[in-house]
Amino acid sequence: MTIRKLQLACIASALSLASLALAGDDPVEHRHELMESTGKAAKPIGQMLKGEADFDAAVVMASLETFSEVSANFGDLFPAGSENGKDSKAAPAIWEDRAGFDAALAKWQDAVAAAIDAAPATVEDTKAALGPVFNACKGCHDSYRLEDD
Amino acid sequence: MLLAAWWITAPVPLTAGDLPQHRPDAAAGERIFWAGGCASCHATPVDGKRAKGEDKLRLGGGMALESPYGIFRVPNISPHEQGIGGWSMLDFVNAMQRGVSPQGRHYYPAFPYASYAKMATSDVMDLKAFLDTLPPVEGRVGSHELGFPWSIDRGLGAWKRLYLDSGPVIEVDAAEPQLAAGRALVEGVGHCGECHTPRNRLGALQAGRWLAGAPNPEGKGRIPNITPAGKDIGSWSAADIAYYLDSGFTPDFDTVGGSMVAVQENLAKLSAADRAAIAAYLKAIPAVE
Repeated sequence: MTIRKLQLACIASALSLASLALAGDDPVEHRHELMESTGKAAKPIGQMLKGEADFDAAVVMASLETFSEVSANFGDLFPAGSENGKDSKAAPAIWEDRAGFDAALAKWQDAVAAAIDAAPATVEDTKAALGPVFNACKGCHDSYRLEDD
Repeated sequence: MLLAAWWITAPVPLTAGDLPQHRPDAAAGERIFWAGGCASCHATPVDGKRAKGEDKLRLGGGMALESPYGIFRVPNISPHEQGIGGWSMLDFVNAMQRGVSPQGRHYYPAFPYASYAKMATSDVMDLKAFLDTLPPVEGRVGSHELGFPWSIDRGLGAWKRLYLDSGPVIEVDAAEPQLAAGRALVEGVGHCGECHTPRNRLGALQAGRWLAGAPNPEGKGRIPNITPAGKDIGSWSAADIAYYLDSGFTPDFDTVGGSMVAVQENLAKLSAADRAAIAAYLKAIPAVE
């Protein structure tokens, strides 16, 4: 790990957060942007777990910080009336079972907080710490996201 | 003429002498169970939803599969007398690899025996040994609700003569054991082609468009092309495919969706070597646009 890489990771993280702020007032667009930046943050971790990239603890932490920011605000982006926005894949279950959706989000927030506390220092640690985080992604998508046509 | 029709449509079961000398191994059968995803159809739904966790091992059936031919009701395959509790090994192998019930009736190929016909019979025997260790679940499910002429199961004998084939679909390099292992998982027990390969007018898989994507049998949308020409996984590395099957995440870190969720969760229970073999096979098959 070099200072330069850390700087890059921080800049990337800051840019992705800045883009969230700029996404405008449309909640559908905004939540789409948040999920895109979440995927982008997860990708380098996946590459480390697959052995395609060298392990880099600072990149993992930067990604976790992105997850933390996104998960803190994500639940606010599903107001009544935003059910059917442009290309939205949000499932009606979000509005029909708001408590369940909030619980799924809380699971994600808790898993991210625990992973940040664990501050994984090896690939094995990362795999263990990120398992619950990734399961939270899948669990929520499984119940609250519509399928592609 | 009638006699010929009677002969053509008759079930063709195996006899005891056709079974290999093999001591069934329940532990090996558990691998086959997850590779085949038996639970995805046969586990009894819980509160109307797909069974999860330990409930995947309660194979009382009861799921209704809607299809263009009508509604198929998935039977009880738990080791209860109302399931397959009283079955012999030969009964089980005939069901899995010949699509014939212990009473000598044809099963409909919604039960994907046309894929299981390609399995090693010793794997089928191991699977029965594993199923016999699972909890017995009471209950018999209702009959299928099929339109004419599909309701005449005898006609399936002719279908089987055309399409039931224990040989492989794709020739692979015999010097690569990993490809043969992947082929066994994908073409046989994994029955991937049943959703990912389009069917002809008689409902048989089109070998020339093997794994090239097909309409979703459960409704809207399409099941993706998973040949090297597929718009999604065509650009994935073998490691990406194996990671997806293990974790449920695409290379762009989107998550697995739809009916593939259950498949991925089952395949995650296999060894890394099995998932790597599946990936190697998928990279080796012909690219079909």
